[in-house]
Amino acid sequence: MEAQWLRIRRQKRVQTVTIVVLIAALVVWSAVQTKFHVLTVFGGLGEMGKLIVNDFLPPHPEALKGLIEPALDTIYMSVVGMVVGSLISAVLAFFAAATTTPHRIVLVLVRGFASVLRNIPGLIWALMLAFAYGIGTLVGTLAIIIYSVGSLVRAYAEILEEIDQSQLEAVKATGATFPQVLGQAVLPQFIPGFVAWSLYKLELNIRASTIVGMVGGGGLGFYIQNGLKLFHFRDVSMAIILMLVLIVVTEFFTNKIREKVI
Amino acid sequence: MKPELATEMANDLSYETALPLHLAEPPQPSKPRRDPWLVGAAWFFPLFFIFSLWQLNFDYSQLAHGTGKMFQLFAQMFPPSLVDWRPVLEAALQSLQVALVGTAIGVAVAAVFGFLAAVNLFPRLGLLIKGVAAFVRTIPTLVWALMFIVAVGMGPVPGILAIATHAGASLIKMFSQSIEEVDEGVHEAIKATGAGKLQIVFQGFLPCVITYFISWSVFRLEADIGESAILGVVGAGGIGYQISNNMRSYLLPETCFAALVVFVLVFSVELLSNWYKNKMNLK
Repeated sequence: MEAQWLRIRRQKRVQTVTIVVLIAALVVWSAVQTKFHVLTVFGGLGEMGKLIVNDFLPPHPEALKGLIEPALDTIYMSVVGMVVGSLISAVLAFFAAATTTPHRIVLVLVRGFASVLRNIPGLIWALMLAFAYGIGTLVGTLAIIIYSVGSLVRAYAEILEEIDQSQLEAVKATGATFPQVLGQAVLPQFIPGFVAWSLYKLELNIRASTIVGMVGGGGLGFYIQNGLKLFHFRDVSMAIILMLVLIVVTEFFTNKIREKVI
Repeated sequence: MKPELATEMANDLSYETALPLHLAEPPQPSKPRRDPWLVGAAWFFPLFFIFSLWQLNFDYSQLAHGTGKMFQLFAQMFPPSLVDWRPVLEAALQSLQVALVGTAIGVAVAAVFGFLAAVNLFPRLGLLIKGVAAFVRTIPTLVWALMFIVAVGMGPVPGILAIATHAGASLIKMFSQSIEEVDEGVHEAIKATGAGKLQIVFQGFLPCVITYFISWSVFRLEADIGESAILGVVGAGGIGYQISNNMRSYLLPETCFAALVVFVLVFSVELLSNWYKNKMNLK
């Protein structure tokens, strides 16, 4: 009994050590392949520190004037992206949830579509969109919508699948029509999750919109990318600070609303 | 109103004199009070949405025109071209490597600073480190990558540094939260034996949180693989460079192939991490 226990323990230990060694080997191999050296970390951080202290600080307050418009654009794009994205996703999720879908094939198709949208990064969508639509906030908004739909369809569909079926049955048993079932049984259970996820998405959209801006989506990202190219580092650090403020403020408000809904 | 209630109220003199019958509603089943935040949000978002649309002032003919062009673009992309499969796959491998090394450094950094940031171990230092980490975390990886490119030049190295920076800062938050959730009794018990700070950490806290650390690191790796796939767009190595370069040179079928590779990469990572999540939940 004792011996067996010891043997299992030893096996377990061997297993753990093997996994750790394997991962370590993978990391080292990757580092060698990418010509990365541990010293580069310190060198890179040192360079970064110098860059920040010498070139980025202090931020240029005069840049604020030129920044207001890109910052507002970022907010507008994120909000429009969230509203349109969550509406499209809510409709699609209805077809993608096992409990509400009209047919299994529709479910697979919609889920596959969402997965393609989700798993190709937003930046790459933005690149393609910039090609078709030209540069500007339209591209940024569309990229955000595409990116939101991909992840929201899955999230909403999961909410719809977790809906308490007995409530549906109960409402149906009263002889309710289909719209009544939807309004009285499905929606009340769907709304809290829907709101929570949409708000979370708004937070991510603010971040994402700064990223898609870099390939021509407008907003703060475009400004940051441009400023770095032109070596206007102090303006860039002002832009980054403004971005931080935007993110923190949205986080604060969305958290407040989310607390109330759940 | 229910008839029996109505008659009862009609018999009640005070009701009759105070209110006309049709106004005397029965006491409502206690309705959840309308929260000002919710009401505000319910008004704010639709209005702000319309305002935003108005402000953005989209050219809707451009939207229609561009959509047509987008479909043309997709049509020209297929079938994907396998001509330069070698550099594309190599770049994809590099993206994976960048993500792996970056996340590993991030995990190592966060493993140390996560403890220093836990307020139950280091009350004052903890808050400071958490604040710095929150600041660093809010700056997207791509912006870090751009800044590291300025600092150390192009190639995979700034990509690794950018991912390590962002991953480290996010993991510090996750790790320190896990540490703070450790039962206070564990802390007390080990302290009572006269253990030093290091002994408390290694003997008391580490065994409690190691599984959480591993889970968070796995999820971080998932996110970082997605990030490293796009870092190349700004010149920080990996497959993103292939995509943006092909796109700019109008090599559409080649772009399609590279985008498909990214899709397969990110999708398989998502599947793996879902599998891992399920496994952890079942345990």
